[in-house]
Amino acid sequence: MSNLDRRTLVKGSLAAMMAGAMSRAAFADSSEPILLGVSGPLTGPNAQYGTQWKQGFDLALDEIMAAGGVNGRKLAYSFEDSQSDPRQSVAIAQKFVSDSRIVLELGDFSSPASMAASPIYQRAGLVQFGFTNSHPDFTKGGDFMWSTSVSQADEQPLLARYAVKRLGLKKLAVLHLNTDWGRTSRDHFVKAAKEYGAEIVVSEGYIAEERDFRSTLVRVRDASPDGLILISYYSDGALIARQARQVGLKQVMCAASSVYSPKFLELGGEAVEDVHVGTRYFPEDPRPEVQKFIAGFKKKYNGQEPDAFNAYSYDAMNMAAAVVRIGGTDRRAIRDAFAKVKDVPSVIFGTATFDVESRRVKGAMNAELVVRKGQFALWDGKPT
Amino acid sequence: MSSWLDYTINGLIVGNVYALVAVGLALIFGVSRLINFAQGSIYLVGAYIGWVAVVQLHTPLPLTIIVVAAAAALVGLVIERFGLRPLQNSVRIAPLLATIGISFVLDQLVMLTFSPNPRALPSQLPDVRFQVGGGTIGPLDLLIAGVGLTSALLLFVFLRYSKLGWAVRAASQDRDAAMQMGVDVNRVNQAVFGIAAALGGVSGMLVGMYYNQIDTAMSLQATLKGVVAEVVGGAGNVPGAVIGSLLLGLVESYGVAVFGTSYRNLFAFLLLVVVLVLRPNGLFASARQAPPEPLTGTFIAPSRPLRIPRWALLAAAAIFALLPLLPVSFYVLQTLINAWLLGMLALSLTLVAGTIGQVSLGHAALLAIGAYTSALLSLSAAVPVGLAIIAGGLMSAALGTILISPSFRLRGHYVSIATLAIGEIVSLVILNWESVTRGPIGISGIPPLSLFGYDLVSPASIYWFSFAVMVALALLQARLLGSHLGRSFRAIRDDDIAARAYGLSLNRYKSLAFIFGGFAAGVSGGIAAHLYSYINHETFNTQQSILALTVVILGGLGNVVGAVVGSVALVGLPELFRIAAEYRILIYGIVLLLLVRFRPQGLLGTI
Repeated sequence: MSNLDRRTLVKGSLAAMMAGAMSRAAFADSSEPILLGVSGPLTGPNAQYGTQWKQGFDLALDEIMAAGGVNGRKLAYSFEDSQSDPRQSVAIAQKFVSDSRIVLELGDFSSPASMAASPIYQRAGLVQFGFTNSHPDFTKGGDFMWSTSVSQADEQPLLARYAVKRLGLKKLAVLHLNTDWGRTSRDHFVKAAKEYGAEIVVSEGYIAEERDFRSTLVRVRDASPDGLILISYYSDGALIARQARQVGLKQVMCAASSVYSPKFLELGGEAVEDVHVGTRYFPEDPRPEVQKFIAGFKKKYNGQEPDAFNAYSYDAMNMAAAVVRIGGTDRRAIRDAFAKVKDVPSVIFGTATFDVESRRVKGAMNAELVVRKGQFALWDGKPT
Repeated sequence: MSSWLDYTINGLIVGNVYALVAVGLALIFGVSRLINFAQGSIYLVGAYIGWVAVVQLHTPLPLTIIVVAAAAALVGLVIERFGLRPLQNSVRIAPLLATIGISFVLDQLVMLTFSPNPRALPSQLPDVRFQVGGGTIGPLDLLIAGVGLTSALLLFVFLRYSKLGWAVRAASQDRDAAMQMGVDVNRVNQAVFGIAAALGGVSGMLVGMYYNQIDTAMSLQATLKGVVAEVVGGAGNVPGAVIGSLLLGLVESYGVAVFGTSYRNLFAFLLLVVVLVLRPNGLFASARQAPPEPLTGTFIAPSRPLRIPRWALLAAAAIFALLPLLPVSFYVLQTLINAWLLGMLALSLTLVAGTIGQVSLGHAALLAIGAYTSALLSLSAAVPVGLAIIAGGLMSAALGTILISPSFRLRGHYVSIATLAIGEIVSLVILNWESVTRGPIGISGIPPLSLFGYDLVSPASIYWFSFAVMVALALLQARLLGSHLGRSFRAIRDDDIAARAYGLSLNRYKSLAFIFGGFAAGVSGGIAAHLYSYINHETFNTQQSILALTVVILGGLGNVVGAVVGSVALVGLPELFRIAAEYRILIYGIVLLLLVRFRPQGLLGTI
């Protein structure tokens, strides 16, 4: 009995909440902000990335508001925590598609969570703008899936060129995160590095929770490479660098742009000194959009340096604003606007224009950095 | 050749790290027969207290250790006093669930206080390296080894020679007898939790310094590896835990040496399963030791289940069946679809865990088997989706039962640990068996649900489909439990020796339960795969297994209606708490704790 009451209660309150949301939507007018839905992790194992997204979004929104908003209206987002869990991201997807105030969705973070929600967005006709979704199949989910994530087919050859052509490494050890991103990246890197004439002497995939790399590094040492390639995020990249130096590996290390974060320097300490990083932007980058981003970020967040994920989310919010400017508040028009939007200023791409076929942006910027005296600096061409 | 020396040294070094957690777990298990899932959270708390002490207060190392130990001990005492002591006369499984709830709450509190960003925890020891073999070790390696060995030795001496130590051992052998002899069992428990927590906190701090990195995700991994090491050594055996940890470290290191890094955890969990199969009580359990579990009966206490009148069930079913016709949002429907999918998993688990007493912590593996089978059949062999899902269920039933069969001879907590390991093994095989499962890239473009050529894509049709499948499975299971078979299952749960004496073949009945349960879970996984269109090895993870167990305990073990009610509650609550944003998992943990505290036999009671 009590069980029945409880269930009806839960259900009733859910229904009431939804009814509330809908009636509010019906009264939406031009004084209300244009709303974007964000599905991403704020709790759970990936929570750090969700909080970094928020920083980038908020900075971009501040600037958009200061410039008078979008088509005379405010822009705002509603962030729903998915824990990067597909079960929750699909529920959030239904919530967003049935909330008529939401004109565009951003996220989710992990591929399982994002791509599980794709069919719902596609069928309902709401754009899913997956700005960190590098999985090659993400945009194949349908014509409502768009991404500004740098395609690994674009990024990895740049890293391979840095390592092989510029640093002159010939025998490479590749350490990669064994996720869809890490695996795809590794495959593109290996292909490009071989084309440039290098040999891959060992390739090791590790799981995201891994902390101890000493035995992996023995394998690396026994393959006697002349360079280590880290296809890692900043936390695991820092761990590998530290342990490599601790076990006495002195080879040149070259890391993918995802380690580009002040946290990499903080967590890695002296061990990440002289690590080479191929990135999309760097602090002294003279491009105006980069300077504006870094200065604004430091001002808003007490001198904190922005990292790669901050830049992705900042760019994504600016792109969303540009798209809404063209497409208005109609969901289908917004989808069409993704194909029309041209040369949006971007930290990652310089200017971003979508390739309508792949629904991705090509031509990411490239900067060859190296860690010198605990700071990222442009590589001066001197060997380390 | 020298590489092997290096692999050995590295294995011992990382084994050292595991030992710190395992010793605390062993101590608590020794006394309370409880796998303390909150131990990893105390480890996390210790790491962050250490960070505050080192980075903000600039304390020297000895003082840091004392501060962390004291603060962590305090946390341990609070957990014991307010989280576990109120449950000591209730069902044996309630404290287990309570520790899961406590770990949610602690992890979330740390995350909310310190933000989820990883932090550097600088080592306070001089950075000198000693050349050993082809690698080097530093002072921190020695300190960790020192702390691990010293604490194991001290505990050994304490347990063997001090009066309180005797009391601890007496209480662990026979609580009631110890109480009759005048042992203050509460004080014993306090002492044990205090010591274990202090150790856990210090180990979190040391490991944080070791890697110069702490983050809020470190707690579950620490618990997992600690539990494996502890059980390998013989649960409750403190020196055994140290040796188990070193062995675990070595096996992982050699696994990396021979097969590569991505096989590392596979070897850790295979070691566990092999040890449990060969020596069901761990490597160092003495033959004279009392059976690890008070045989049965007390593990899952009988309670009076809440009887729900048939008309009420029918009415509830009718309401839920008609729901899509009412003006409810797709969001509510989708949330309930998730609840029905979880409900199928919970039905499966409540049968094997509740009715026949095999508490499985690796149930998500059955989802994964069903999902991959169904996805691959429909994609590569163009099997119609409806048939593919059934095939997924059958595959899950067959493969699941075969995989789990080594654990049939185990009892109580050991079953949970073995199934946990089997679950992890399945996930790692999926990750590594690329030619079939496509490895980390996962399977994309899985066709949507369809029946007899009609695509089920609207939320209402998916809702009806999943609801109908779940109701059918529930009815089948209720019918099963009402039959002779159900009585045999319960007889095995309540007293396996008596059941055997009556001529019941334990293995055969356990297999039957897993076959039926595996089918339900496999079907749930299959439907999920077609619903999501993309799956990879992370889609069905350990958290799903833990969630399923929580649902089952919450609903009432063995209780079919309870499993469904529990699923609706545990899918619905975090959604209801969305309004609380970052705080919602914290609130969820607290609600869970309150439910365990006041309804330890589950909402609807054990059947």
